[in-house]
Amino acid sequence: MLGLFWENLRISLGSIFANKTRSILTALGIVIGVLSVTLMGTLISGLDRTFEKSMAGFRSDVLMISRMEWFSGDTDWWEMRNRPRIREEYAEKLLDRSQFVEAVAPVSERGGSIMRDDKRIDSRFFGTTPNYLQTNISAEVENGRFFTDGENRSGARVLVIGGDVADALFPDEDPIDKYVKIGNYKFRVIGVLKKMGKFMGLFSMDNQATMPFGTYKRLYARRGWTTLRVKLNTKDVDSAKEEVQGIFRQIRRLKPTEKDNFGINQSSTLEAQYKAIKLAIGGTGIFITALSLIVGGIGIMNIMFVSVKERTREIGVRKALGATQTMILGQFLMEAVMICLIAGLVGMGMAYGLSMVINKFFPSAMPIGLAVGSILLSVIIGVVSGLVPSYRAARLDPIDALRYE
Amino acid sequence: MADLISLSGIKRHYDVGGEVVRALDGVDLTIQQNEYISIMGPSGSGKSTLMNMIGCLDTPTEGIYEFEGELVHEMDDNQLASIRNRKIGFVFQTFNLLPKATALRNVEVPLIYANISRSERIDRAKKALIAVGLEERMHHKPNELSGGQRQRVAIARALVNDPSIILADEPTGNLDSKSGVEIMKILDKLHNNGNTIILVTHEEYIADHAERTINLFDGKIKDDIRTAKRKVGT
Repeated sequence: MLGLFWENLRISLGSIFANKTRSILTALGIVIGVLSVTLMGTLISGLDRTFEKSMAGFRSDVLMISRMEWFSGDTDWWEMRNRPRIREEYAEKLLDRSQFVEAVAPVSERGGSIMRDDKRIDSRFFGTTPNYLQTNISAEVENGRFFTDGENRSGARVLVIGGDVADALFPDEDPIDKYVKIGNYKFRVIGVLKKMGKFMGLFSMDNQATMPFGTYKRLYARRGWTTLRVKLNTKDVDSAKEEVQGIFRQIRRLKPTEKDNFGINQSSTLEAQYKAIKLAIGGTGIFITALSLIVGGIGIMNIMFVSVKERTREIGVRKALGATQTMILGQFLMEAVMICLIAGLVGMGMAYGLSMVINKFFPSAMPIGLAVGSILLSVIIGVVSGLVPSYRAARLDPIDALRYE
Repeated sequence: MADLISLSGIKRHYDVGGEVVRALDGVDLTIQQNEYISIMGPSGSGKSTLMNMIGCLDTPTEGIYEFEGELVHEMDDNQLASIRNRKIGFVFQTFNLLPKATALRNVEVPLIYANISRSERIDRAKKALIAVGLEERMHHKPNELSGGQRQRVAIARALVNDPSIILADEPTGNLDSKSGVEIMKILDKLHNNGNTIILVTHEEYIADHAERTINLFDGKIKDDIRTAKRKVGT
């Protein structure tokens, strides 16, 4: 039977190469299908990896308390918009009253340009306290130092800059103890943060600068919103969250009937949201691209019907010479599978090449499972779309087939 | 000696648009080893149906068909394919070669279905082609061969599995007279070498090669004549 397998392989390849144009056009459908499915899968997996990397800064044991919930669900946006501000003083109170809180850092944020002589970079800057480093493990001072409590209290004009800012303003010198300007205010650079990369490959987490909260408050008053980054000392995030919620309700003096007028966010909500989005985008994407594969499969089926019709006489001859139904079925099935397999390999190769190109702009890498899966998928499509035409060929009556003109 | 082929009470009826066509309507026939038979008759007499029946391409509606002791009328499709492969060599009027395959590959086909190893296949296919005088044209495709040569490839293909009978359906029908004579010479020679040959033809001079002529009319055997002399081969 193995001999027959090679024979069928030989016949099918012969037939594919004998009708080059037709084979190429037919295979194109599968090539496009496999290409899009594989590419879609590659992008989603790239997105996944990026997400995980980006989320490293948002550890699960960090809560972010702000005026709004990140994902508000059914809470009205205007209701959230009109909630009272999160105040810096809450940080102290929270740390005092909670048994689960290890460190709290208020963070305020705004955008603006940072300048040095004729160089400038559009960036974001934060005001926060020295505790910040405890609440964000991916923030690490690479060069110089972070600011101190004293600098925070006195509102010193010192700045810890991100890697991108350092690159832009100090291309070939050490930024430490040099001065930069934000608006009309002059700052001394005291530290450079280690690079953290891009968030979801979209915007750089290194294009930022951090100043003491005291300084920020003085210069920018109460503009901008404050978020409290809360580092927990437990993995039991749910209990901690409950406790923090209770303390916050006390701070806010909320009656039991009143709803929370603050939002406690954590990375898992972001993750859950991301997963939902991924499922929606990925699911729809895979579904739509899978449709193109189905269209490709229909093309194969169509051309296989033509091939069987065209070779009716050949089928008759083969049957007269002793081919059984199974042998004829195998011959045509092999042809359909071979077209799909070749097309699948080509499509996967193209997807691999494209993913390398895309990788330059957006992180993507083809997982090996996906590559194997897409090849397997094209073989399955070959079998499925070849089955009916091959069965028809196998069932032909030899006498009718021999007489067929 | 046991009969090679024995047909008794063979009927083959077709239902064509509600009307029953009796293509074969009670045929009794026995064929012995090494007979040289021609089947004749006007069109519609049932020649082709009888040939398909003997060639195990078709099964009878009614009757008993025994081929070397095997009961063909009871066989399913796979068994029929197997008996065609092992015991019957077909030669068609229109050659029916695979157009994209070389002469050698064409002759190999029955051996492929007999699941014979590649080296033995090539060996036997070459021998068969040499037997029909085509050793020089083995690697040519059908469109590079003359009509006579194509039919010789077809004969080689019919021979290659060492069949019990060779069934030739109008083997010279598509050939010029010179090629036709060549083909008949080859068939005569095969007969002299001990092969059993059944010719279907409507040409008297082709039928004259045979030792026994069966005339069909309206799905029945009209007469079954044994010509006295046995042909002397070339």
